[in-house]
Amino acid sequence: MSGITVEGVARSFGDVHAVRHASFEVAQGSVAGLIGPNGAGKTTLLLMLATLLVPDSGSIRVAGYDPVTEPHQVRRRMGWMPDALGSWPSLDVRTALTTSGRMYGMEFDEASRRADELIGLVGLTPLADQPTRVLSRGQKQRLSLARALVHDPEVLLLDEPASGLDPAARTELRELVRRLAHEGKTVIVSSHVLAELEEMADTAVYLAAGETAAPDEVARAGRTARDWRVRSLDPDRLAAVLGAAGYGEVSVVDRFGAVVPFASEADAAQMLAHLVGSGVPISSFAPAVGDLEHVFHDLNRSDGDA
Amino acid sequence: MNGFLRGMWLIVTLDLKQRVRGIAWYVLLGVFVVLVTAVTALVVIATNAWDSGGGGVFSTIVFFVLLLGTLVSPALSGNAINGEREAGTLATTQVTLVTTAQLVIGKWVAAWLTALAFLAASLPFLAFGIVLGEVSPATVITTVLVLAVELGIIAAIGVGLSGLVTRPLFSVVVTYLVVAALSVGTLIAFGLGGAAVQTTVKQTIIGVDYQQLDENGLAPGGGEVPCLPPNTWEQQTPRFDLVWGFLAANPYVVVADAAPGSFDEDGNPTDLFGWIAVGVRQAQQAPETEVVIDECSEYSSKGYAPHDSPTPREIYDGSVPSWFVGLTIHLLLGAGALAWAWRRTEVPAKRLAAGSRIA
Repeated sequence: MSGITVEGVARSFGDVHAVRHASFEVAQGSVAGLIGPNGAGKTTLLLMLATLLVPDSGSIRVAGYDPVTEPHQVRRRMGWMPDALGSWPSLDVRTALTTSGRMYGMEFDEASRRADELIGLVGLTPLADQPTRVLSRGQKQRLSLARALVHDPEVLLLDEPASGLDPAARTELRELVRRLAHEGKTVIVSSHVLAELEEMADTAVYLAAGETAAPDEVARAGRTARDWRVRSLDPDRLAAVLGAAGYGEVSVVDRFGAVVPFASEADAAQMLAHLVGSGVPISSFAPAVGDLEHVFHDLNRSDGDA
Repeated sequence: MNGFLRGMWLIVTLDLKQRVRGIAWYVLLGVFVVLVTAVTALVVIATNAWDSGGGGVFSTIVFFVLLLGTLVSPALSGNAINGEREAGTLATTQVTLVTTAQLVIGKWVAAWLTALAFLAASLPFLAFGIVLGEVSPATVITTVLVLAVELGIIAAIGVGLSGLVTRPLFSVVVTYLVVAALSVGTLIAFGLGGAAVQTTVKQTIIGVDYQQLDENGLAPGGGEVPCLPPNTWEQQTPRFDLVWGFLAANPYVVVADAAPGSFDEDGNPTDLFGWIAVGVRQAQQAPETEVVIDECSEYSSKGYAPHDSPTPREIYDGSVPSWFVGLTIHLLLGAGALAWAWRRTEVPAKRLAAGSRIA
């Protein structure tokens, strides 16, 4: 069993309770999105998984080992990409990656072969002999990802891997993560770009104010009313039909069309049929936000109310 | 053990690789060589070394290397660990199979080797001092070895503090303060401490009654020399013998005292090491609390008998060396700093210093 198991984990720094109660599981070969607002404790949670912080309570298993009592075993099998981008500024990209490989016990030849392989994988080939200080933020991000992969780990912890990447690189990242999962690796990705995670993650772990949301909470949040964006070639006609159907009050009509709240997918489907039947030329009909984002906002909202 | 050395050496080479790629390091070394050249030239002229031998030149260069080593080393070692933390490269090293002990020891060895480069750059000048003559091989070996160890201790203190203090600038400053405390603070403590603890010394002088002597300066009738009644008074004397231990902790004193003493036929030291060692050892001797100076009994018509004060060599030979006490204190200080830094940098971390981040 080489996934990740977290049970009742808590960690505080003095008076600040960064993580209060986190419990979740990530099965081997799957990708989990770690979602939560700033300060929710995502990075602290990942630091505990990465054998850098001891939890105050609770237990963790990474690739079958306890990061507190068997950090060496965990480090062999775990790759961590931090949110803070650090690199040895005067070393060139190739040397930096080779050095990282050697830190995992590889011989020089093996490490430099692996470095070349990864440079190609993350698309840094033209910069391989440049000192890392000249890299842009996005290029450092790629270097950091390559370093996390240098010892071919079973478990990958990626903290905000997509921030700073251009759209093409994001697509590559998504494909890479999916491929790694397909090879049987377990991946946790934390991100603010929820649309990104939507296409990458098999499951989601929601973290708010240091607590992971329980599965039933997540399910309920997924069922609440949500906004759908409707576009039409004839906005006036659209507004008129929506008004006649009783959605005039709640809809927001703008120059792109209308944003309409539907209580369920069934309501949305029904309304779409009605609009088409009434001869409104519909060009687009889709949730205004993705599933993850919807749940994220909803959980945060109920948090704020509580 | 082999595995330990491999990981440690990886950190050493990584550290050195990054240093030698910076230009600042070469500039520093160049300035150092220029300064040593100037100092050597001046000392050769000042001590007339072509005739009197190279003891003065050799000892001055050794002290100069120690001075510049202590001035440069804190800047090179005092941000070794917290600097990496700030740059975000510490945690990425700590999630690898490199252990914290390998990391801390490797950082220390790298800082030490960097400081030793200054010693290496001064070797031609030391050799020049030896060529001038009058420097014993024992002096060369002991002082260079002790100097190298002292540079290692300062590197250890710097690396240790960089693991204990969160901010790099602050740990560099604290390292400088420790170096200053050892180099200058010990002198101040010695001077003030000795002056604060004073002892009353009773002095008695028995003078000659010159008025009763005849015109040849002889006792009348060839009898006893007529004496004045004893004149007694009291005065306060500083007790340096109680505080000389402060001097033992001074790195310059350690190097000087470790050198085997070398003296000329009059019993005077032939190098700077000897003068410092004699000074320190003289301070070990407690002042006599009752001093009687009987000029009268020493008087003869030819004047006073030559006053018999010990030569520097006699003082040196009649006292105990203190350098290994000082060196032991320094070694404990350096090892303690490294061990503490190791404990504070160990991951997974239980406790973090306020305001610090792990990554």
